[in-house]
Amino acid sequence: MAETDQPEVWARRILSSAEPMLAAIARPTVTIDPPMDADVQALEEGFVRVRELLAVPTPDMNHDLLNLIGAIRGYAEMLFEEMSKLHPVMKETLPALLAAVGSNQITLEMPQVTEGPLPRREAPGVILAVDDMPENRELISRLLSRVGHTVISAESGEEALELLETRGVDVVLLDLMMPGIGGAEVLRRMKENEDLRATPVVMISGRQDMDQIIACIQAGADDYLLKPFNPVLLQARISAGIERKRWHDREEDYRHQLERNERFIRRTFGRYLSDDIVDQLLEAPEGLELGGDLREVTIMMSDICGFTSLAEHLPPTDVVSLLNRYFEHMTDIIFEHEGTIDEFLGDAILAVFGAPRRRDNDPERAVRCALAMRDAMDTVNAANEAAGLPVLSQRIALNTGTVIAGNIGSEQRAKYGCVGHAMNVTSRIEGQTDTDEILIAAATRDHLPDGIFILGEPRELLAKGIEDAIVTYPVLGLAP
Amino acid sequence: MTQPVQTILLVEDNEANRNMLVRRLERAGHQVTTAADGETALQIMRKQQPSVVLMDMNLPIMDGWTACREARLDGLIRNIPIIALTAHAMEEDKQRALEAGCAEYATKPVDFPDLLAKIAAQLDASC
Repeated sequence: MAETDQPEVWARRILSSAEPMLAAIARPTVTIDPPMDADVQALEEGFVRVRELLAVPTPDMNHDLLNLIGAIRGYAEMLFEEMSKLHPVMKETLPALLAAVGSNQITLEMPQVTEGPLPRREAPGVILAVDDMPENRELISRLLSRVGHTVISAESGEEALELLETRGVDVVLLDLMMPGIGGAEVLRRMKENEDLRATPVVMISGRQDMDQIIACIQAGADDYLLKPFNPVLLQARISAGIERKRWHDREEDYRHQLERNERFIRRTFGRYLSDDIVDQLLEAPEGLELGGDLREVTIMMSDICGFTSLAEHLPPTDVVSLLNRYFEHMTDIIFEHEGTIDEFLGDAILAVFGAPRRRDNDPERAVRCALAMRDAMDTVNAANEAAGLPVLSQRIALNTGTVIAGNIGSEQRAKYGCVGHAMNVTSRIEGQTDTDEILIAAATRDHLPDGIFILGEPRELLAKGIEDAIVTYPVLGLAP
Repeated sequence: MTQPVQTILLVEDNEANRNMLVRRLERAGHQVTTAADGETALQIMRKQQPSVVLMDMNLPIMDGWTACREARLDGLIRNIPIIALTAHAMEEDKQRALEAGCAEYATKPVDFPDLLAKIAAQLDASC
């Protein structure tokens, strides 16, 4: 029993048993919350006094030592009583101290404590130890497993590279001198590999290989250790390595998050927007929130004349191939003119120019787009004829006005779109557009630069639900 | 049954040990006053009438043995139970403490749950 020792011998044993705990609580990352911090501090002061007494003995030393040991034991027991509130490193290191001070509490409640365990690091990691000497691998494994790390080992550079391919490793401990692929070569190959480049490498070598160690550091090794290892230094290097790896992993996660967002945007908008508009959106993703804003756009609505009755007389597969060919061509043309497809409605296409990005020549681009779509019908119909399918004709209406443009819908199913009176007006115009005709509202015509398009005579339309007559102009073509 | 506030007088010259015991006793719900020598201890006992005294026997100015004997001769404080604290786990010390008039005896470093039990027994007996 401890009490039978000379107080001086006993005190020295207590000091050495307390070392792991004192080292642990001295780390800045370990904070002890009030109200226990006062007890931890008192405990530390007790150790300081014991050290002082042992260094400068007094006539009353034994008496004083016993009192100090009593105080240390008291504080240690108090902390033990509040074990659940303690920092993990305290939990880990306190039992050894309690055992050394001869606390009854500890011998009753925690009889399994035999030797003082070293403080566990807050972040245990996976360490790959690469060394051709089995006793070195064993030593590293023992030292690092004791503090909670998972150690895997390789006896050659070849094996190490294989393991690195399949296992997630936080830090590599790499012996410089090995038969076959040496440490320097393993390091070089790791740095060439995109996936392994960021994994911290600590080189291990003898003192005589200092030149090569320096070369390895220059080649990207993070640190080095000289043989024979100093266990404390080994653990410090490992901890630093793990910290670096964690930091890098967090950065990587962040980057992936950004990429996921980008993929989301492309998926959500890719069908409706031309690529460069998606790119512009990606630069300002805050614009992707639900809701919309008022903006002036030029609206295009097109459909295939008489498609419904046409479809009734065709097998469904023919209807689908007819539509797909038509939409494919038209979509390309609309994107070429930087329009945004709002919706495909049966055989109709609803597109806007000016949302999500507004440009000064939105109306002009819309009219050019309509003309290109009309011209493209020749190509579409040639393909239809070749496939034994009927010839199609389309009509296109354009209108310019203010709409609410934005992400409309629910969080789960949002869609970029426009709503507003101007949309309805466009639909009415389109309903009264003739076959193969492009009809534009006066609002659109007013925004066109002079001398580019040849327009026909104005036509007044009366539409259901709209009081005033809508003035429209047919677009005949581009001015020569 | 309402009880007057029960105070423990702790007489201990070693500061670290004294602070620690005060903290532990207070955490256990006791009210504690302290003295660092036998003479001061006797003065406090006369003035404050603590319910129990925990007395280290090895004290400056007046040691615990002497303080205990004096307390037993003083009618004012004769009935205050004293628990002797000594560093020597020997039967003769225990005998010596009881002869000096101590009601109980505990060795240092104290087994705290045991000490609390002894304090509780003395408080019960004196009520």
